[in-house]
Amino acid sequence: MNWQTVLLIVHGLLAVALLGAITHQAASVLLPASRPAGSFVGRFRAVPGPSYVNAVVVLYVVTAVLGGVLYTEYRVSVRTVVEQLGMWPAHGAFELKEHFAAVGLGLLPAYWYCWRVAGEARTRAALTAFLAIIVWWNFLVGHVLNNIRGFGV
Amino acid sequence: MRFRSFAIAFAVAFSITYAVSVLNNYALFTYHPAIGEFGAGVQKGRDGPAMYWYGWMATSGIVAFLAGVLAALLPESATRRLWPGLTWLVALIALAVLAYDLRQFFLK
Repeated sequence: MNWQTVLLIVHGLLAVALLGAITHQAASVLLPASRPAGSFVGRFRAVPGPSYVNAVVVLYVVTAVLGGVLYTEYRVSVRTVVEQLGMWPAHGAFELKEHFAAVGLGLLPAYWYCWRVAGEARTRAALTAFLAIIVWWNFLVGHVLNNIRGFGV
Repeated sequence: MRFRSFAIAFAVAFSITYAVSVLNNYALFTYHPAIGEFGAGVQKGRDGPAMYWYGWMATSGIVAFLAGVLAALLPESATRRLWPGLTWLVALIALAVLAYDLRQFFLK
């Protein structure tokens, strides 16, 4: 197992943690529990959203940086194969993933600010949902591309 | 209040600059992954493909940081009405434009 494989696994594990945190937070802000939660879904929605903010920011940045490091290996070893196989939707989905990741990074200061102040409830909800969509897209596309052509073996 | 102005301006400027950088290839630098070398500005691939994503990020990050600092230095009366919803709205439009630019991959 080489260093790219280790890094890819760490990148994937951090993405899972980020996915969990942002999904919990998005559920708590978009579908807040109106009464004491009894069910699994109710407890999922009843988490305190503000407690996830710093974790989401740190996980997003670290996951993105690791993705940026791995991107070079993807460009040389994986994308070439995807192109040769003519898997254009997969290729396009990954291109979109890099754009999603970049724009999401630019939103992090505003996201952090909106969770730190009492007002800005609508923007807080919108930014959280927006970041959740980005994280879900990037996670799923990364997973699919890794299934098509993993690297480092 | 100053961080509010910085955060809104940063997000809006980053999204716009990133989209413009991608569409016009305004990369601050190029990375050549096959040989592990960086080059200033936009360059053709050397012994392999050229990567511009890092350069687009750098261009966008610098412009957004400057826009954020400028907004934070403005008097509060000028930035109070800055709508924070611009952050996600501009980001959404930027991603829609970039997705449209990639449409050929999904229509083949």
